[in-house]
Amino acid sequence: MSLTSLVFLLFCFITILIYFVIPKKFQWVILLISSIIFLFYDNLHIGTVVQALLILIPSYIIGIQIEKNSNTKKGKVFLIAGILIILAQLFYLKYTNLFLATFNHIFNLFKIDYQFDFVYRNSLIGISYYSLIMISYLVDIYRGTCEAQKNIFKCALFMSYFPILTSGPFIRYGSVGNELYEGHKFNYDRMVRGLVRILWGVFKILVISERLGMFVDSVYGNLELFNFAFTFAAMIAFTLQLYTNFSGSIDIIMGISEIIGIKLPENFNLPFFSKTITEFWRNWHITLGAWLKDYIFYPLLKSDLMQKLNEKSKNKFGKKVGKKIPLYFSMLIMWIIIGAWHGGAYTFIIGSGILQFVYMFLEDTLGPISDKINKKLGIRKDVFSYKLYQVIRTFLLFSFAMIFFRSSSLSDAFDIIKNIFTINLSTLFNKEALLSMISNMGLDIYDFAVLIVSLIILFVMQLLARKRDVREKLLEQNIIFRWGILYILIFTIIIFGCYGAGYDATAFIYRGF
Amino acid sequence: MKKIIKITIFLIIFCIIFYSIFEKMWLAPNSISCIYSEPKNSLDVIYIGASNTYAHFNSVLAYNLYGYTTGLVSADAQSFIFAKYLIKESEKYQKPYVYVIDLAQVATNMEDFGDGEIRTTTDVMKFSKNRIDAINDILKYKKDINKEDYINYYFSFLMYHNKWREFNKNNVNINLYKGYLFSDMTIKTEEQEAYTWNENILELQDANKKILLDLINYIKNNNINVIFVVPKRYFIEQNNMEINDAIRIIEENNLKVINCNTIEELNNINFETDLYNYAHINVYGATKYTLWFSKYLKEKYNLPNHKEDLNYLSWNIEYDRFKESFNSKTSKNFDDLLLKYSEK
Repeated sequence: MSLTSLVFLLFCFITILIYFVIPKKFQWVILLISSIIFLFYDNLHIGTVVQALLILIPSYIIGIQIEKNSNTKKGKVFLIAGILIILAQLFYLKYTNLFLATFNHIFNLFKIDYQFDFVYRNSLIGISYYSLIMISYLVDIYRGTCEAQKNIFKCALFMSYFPILTSGPFIRYGSVGNELYEGHKFNYDRMVRGLVRILWGVFKILVISERLGMFVDSVYGNLELFNFAFTFAAMIAFTLQLYTNFSGSIDIIMGISEIIGIKLPENFNLPFFSKTITEFWRNWHITLGAWLKDYIFYPLLKSDLMQKLNEKSKNKFGKKVGKKIPLYFSMLIMWIIIGAWHGGAYTFIIGSGILQFVYMFLEDTLGPISDKINKKLGIRKDVFSYKLYQVIRTFLLFSFAMIFFRSSSLSDAFDIIKNIFTINLSTLFNKEALLSMISNMGLDIYDFAVLIVSLIILFVMQLLARKRDVREKLLEQNIIFRWGILYILIFTIIIFGCYGAGYDATAFIYRGF
Repeated sequence: MKKIIKITIFLIIFCIIFYSIFEKMWLAPNSISCIYSEPKNSLDVIYIGASNTYAHFNSVLAYNLYGYTTGLVSADAQSFIFAKYLIKESEKYQKPYVYVIDLAQVATNMEDFGDGEIRTTTDVMKFSKNRIDAINDILKYKKDINKEDYINYYFSFLMYHNKWREFNKNNVNINLYKGYLFSDMTIKTEEQEAYTWNENILELQDANKKILLDLINYIKNNNINVIFVVPKRYFIEQNNMEINDAIRIIEENNLKVINCNTIEELNNINFETDLYNYAHINVYGATKYTLWFSKYLKEKYNLPNHKEDLNYLSWNIEYDRFKESFNSKTSKNFDDLLLKYSEK
């Protein structure tokens, strides 16, 4: 069930309607039933039911056991067991092929005449989300920051709350758990705010992201037909496609939850205005970054192993450099995990993992040198032009990394990079070649016009959002203006959205994770 | 309460805008639209069926001859299952003296109707219970649709919303010749030339039989004037024999059926010269058929003559337009042709 389908719209409408009709103490049951329907809507069979139960039941039992044995070795054993059970399933369902591909590469390297066949497993939607959510649930109980849920059905709701299963955000039991169960009164203003956010999300996905996708697919699928400029444009377009698709999904999810009355953590904060990659990742997929910091990076940094490394490197390289080594090492591990979380392939590990680490490493190490050079050359950092340069640089670096993220293999990614850097200016002035590329770019003149106007609207909205809450401002306006904007938004989506026959407007990029 | 009123007004305005955009501007109408586009209660005959309807019966010629109006509620390969719903829908806007129902598709396997054949009828119907029932009914026989695609049949804007890019293109004039579509081409094959009606009966498939009986019950329960017609054309042998079973069932229910393949007066339709493909007669065959059938309808149902009524001027205009088009396309004179066929 895709987030922009009419079926989903109807599903949410019925869920929300029943939710507010029944008494508060039973409201969470409706959310649970809806979540179960959503979870198994496309994929109901014994295998997927077992998958869900194999995470739910051990997490539920182990959660209670950890709480009973808090601050004891036994509690730690339970925690480790719980994490291993969840990870085992996640690895079995999502990463088997990554390991098989690795073995195949090793066999090739050593000229061993054997190759594993890839396996295709049927996993439940949202497995990457609910696996990590349940790990954080167990860790938080162990740390004493939340209590174990004693009702297995309530535990099931926390694990499978349907809006977040496709694209997040990651929720923590301590902050969201109670909101799921406590029940809410219908609130008109909340409903209006939620609906506006849903509409904005649908606009981003159906009007912008899907159109960008047509262009990106055409270039990535027929690289030989396009020159460096079109390939470069496709690289930029994919970043925008990813952002509008992912943040649009989050807008829909947040909107639905807002109507229900459940406040979810924000996942984006205008990432394309970031001046460094470090800042970018503080504003992009915020809850994943926070999750990994809290449950991997800091525990790893504080681990005995890293403490020992810290001591050794300080002795060897001095205090200033030495203390950074365990930090970089922990960062590298965290970024490899982030990459792997996005998908069981090296393209993801490099694109959304290792390259991001390299950027941050360079920012950290070369930053002071760059500052010195700027100072000597008299380049001011506090002026608009320099900030603009930083924003563009960050955007391009991220876009470059996303070539790997989008490509189906490493060799495809290198082909794209090669195409971008094969600069042949004559192809820009060859009318026939240009017309051929334009006719193959997957967008006609009308789509192109809609796309440009939509991107301008998106940009303006992002600029406005830096200084004020745009929704709040809109809802303060007089009814004619307010309704006018809403009708324009609704009919823009209905008329210019890419859906229905001839479109596959349902493949959410983050849904696969 | 104030908020409920606000929501209601917002939704009403939304529906009005939505309706004016999609129903009025962006649907792809065909001759079925005549139910809605012709003035209320102005159609005297409603002729329902597949392409044999609009290719065989020249409604503007019938008007010119006898002054009554015929709405050709037809679409390519229109399933027989839609006849009941099209009658129900017509009843809301028109009060015809008689419905003519084409039987060409009565024996077609229900699973053979594709997306296009369904949509050419259901997408043209206004959003109504009849339309929903028609879609529900035919989708029962379609086993190969993804469950999420079902919704596209009910809400056809999902299919047509991107028509905005065709705004600068000329729209097809659905009023042209009041839905009659003619071809002056002649194609002949040995198979068709040798074809004669087979009188043997083969039992209709269960699904088709159920649909036919359902329609008959509806007609009888509502006292609707209906005449069934088997068009003059080539049929494969199995369909031919199954249609005989349909004729038997209809006659057993005391309803009228005309099999044009066995009517002596229609023997002048010559499969060597009057077909434009295996299943359709050309303009010459259609003229012969219309001359005979329009007279039959006029006499049997005592249909009114509106020729002097200015409200029906568009029918005269379309007849003249048809004649002009025929004359220029064939370099013949339609009046002469008419005279020649009438004398015979």
